[in-house]
Amino acid sequence: MATHEANKPLPMGVGSISPRWFAFMAIAMLGIVLGLIGYVVEQQQGMVATGMRDLGTMQGATWGVYISLVVYFVGVSFAGITIAALIRLYNIDYLKGVARMAEVMTVVALLLGAAAIVVDLGQPLRGIVNLFRYARPQSPFFGTFALVISGYLYASLVYLYVTSRPDAAILAAQPSRLRGIFRFWAAGYVDTPEQRERDRRTTFWLALAVLPLLVVAHSSLGFVFGLQVGRPGWFGTLQAPAFVVLAGVSGIGHLLVMAAILRKSLKAEKRIENRAFAWLGRFMMILLIVYLYFIVVEILTTIYQPSVVEQILSEALLTGSYAWLFWGSTAALVIPLLALGWMAVTRNWRISWLVVAGIVVNVGALGKRLLIVVPSQTHGQLLPYGTGTYFPTWVEIAVIIGLFSLGAALVALFMKVFPIIELDEAPDMDAPQIEEVTES
Amino acid sequence: MTISMIVIGLILMVASYFFWAAPWCANAVECSNPRLEWSPAIFVLGVIVAFSSAIYYEVAQDNEE
Repeated sequence: MATHEANKPLPMGVGSISPRWFAFMAIAMLGIVLGLIGYVVEQQQGMVATGMRDLGTMQGATWGVYISLVVYFVGVSFAGITIAALIRLYNIDYLKGVARMAEVMTVVALLLGAAAIVVDLGQPLRGIVNLFRYARPQSPFFGTFALVISGYLYASLVYLYVTSRPDAAILAAQPSRLRGIFRFWAAGYVDTPEQRERDRRTTFWLALAVLPLLVVAHSSLGFVFGLQVGRPGWFGTLQAPAFVVLAGVSGIGHLLVMAAILRKSLKAEKRIENRAFAWLGRFMMILLIVYLYFIVVEILTTIYQPSVVEQILSEALLTGSYAWLFWGSTAALVIPLLALGWMAVTRNWRISWLVVAGIVVNVGALGKRLLIVVPSQTHGQLLPYGTGTYFPTWVEIAVIIGLFSLGAALVALFMKVFPIIELDEAPDMDAPQIEEVTES
Repeated sequence: MTISMIVIGLILMVASYFFWAAPWCANAVECSNPRLEWSPAIFVLGVIVAFSSAIYYEVAQDNEE
C-alpha cells in the first residue's frame, strides 16, 4: 500500500476547494434553484404549466421532455456501469483511470432518471407509493421503474462502494480533515494480500451479476414503448436493442467528455492514458454504426408498405413538423461517426475531436429520445382524432436545466470527497501503443 | 451468511415476482391486483439483500481478520 507524508495534500484534488470549483458549483446551484422554481410552479399550477396535454381530445402528448430525459439518463447510466464492469472483468489496465468516473456517472444518471420520473408525476408521492404497492410484473413499467431505478441503482452503489474501498484505505492512512470519512468508508480494509484477492473476487462476481441485470433493465425500458401495439411508431422489435445501443453511444460520449475534463483539471495524464480515449472512441464508433443501421432498417420497414397512420407518422418525421429534429439528430450521429471513422482509418485519435464527438452524439441522442417519445403520441392516433403538437414550456426547460445542474453538482461534490480517478499505481507507460493519440 | 443473503434475496425476488404479484393471466379484472400488496417492494428488497451480500462478504471478513 502506498505511504503518504503527513499534511501532504490529498490526491486528485480531494478536500481542496479552488476558486474555479467554487465558481462551477455556484453556477450549478443557480441552475438547481431555477429547476426548483420551475418545479414549484408545476406543483402549484398542476401539469397544465407544462406543454403536455392529453392525447387525442386535447391533441397533445402526455409524455414529453421529462420522459425523454428518463430514457436518456437511464441510457447514460447503462454505458457507465457496462464499461466499469468490462474493465474489471477483463482487467483492462489502461482503462482503469475512467472506471470510477464511469461508476459515479452511472449512479448520478440513475438518480437523475428517478428525479425525471418524479417531476413528470402530478402527484409524485401517490405514484411512487402505488408503484411499490401494486405494480404488475407483466408490465415493462415494473422492469423499468422497480428494477432499473431501485434495484439497478442499489447494485451500482454497492459496486461503487466495493471498488472504492482500497482507495479509501490509502486516504485513511494520510492525516486529513476527511480521515474519519475514509476510515468509515474503508471499513477495515488495509490492503493485505487476502483482502486484495477478496476485493478482486467480489468485484468480478458483482460485475458478472450487474451486466445481465442492466441488459434486462434497459431492454424493459425499450419494451415500455416497443410492446404498445396500439401506438404506431413505438410497436416494434427493434425498440429494446436500439435503446441499449443508443444508451451505449450517449454514455460513452459522456464518459469521453468527463475523462477529458478531469484528466486536464486533475493533471491525470498518467492515470488516464491516451489509449483509453482511443478505446472509448472505437467502442462508440461501433455502437454508432449499429444504431444507424437500426435507423435505416426501421425507416425502410415503415415506409415500404405503411398503414395510413404509419404513413402520417413517417411523413411527420421525414418531411413534416419533426423533420428538423429527425434530420438534425441523425446528422448529430452521422457527423461524429465520420470523424471517428477518419480517426480510426488514420489511426490518429485526437482527444479534442473525441470530446466534440461525445458532446454532439449526446445532442443527437437527446433528439432521438424525444423523437421516440413524442411523435407517436401526436401523430400516431388510431382513433379518429387530428394530429397534435407538443412544445415544452419554460417550466419544463427550467426543470431540465435544474436536473442537469444537479448532476454536475453531484459529480463535482463527489470529486472533492473522494478521488474520482482510481489511485492505483499507474499502468506501465512503456507498453507499446499501436495507434497514435494526439491531445490537440 | 453471504450465501444465505444471496439465497434469501433470490427467494424474495422469485416469490414476489411469480407468486405474490398480480398473476400472469389474460383476464384484466381478476389479474389486476397483486395477491400480496407491496410485492413489488419485496422484489426490490430481494435485489437489495442479494447485492448487499457483496458488502457483507468483504466488510465482515476484513474486520474478522
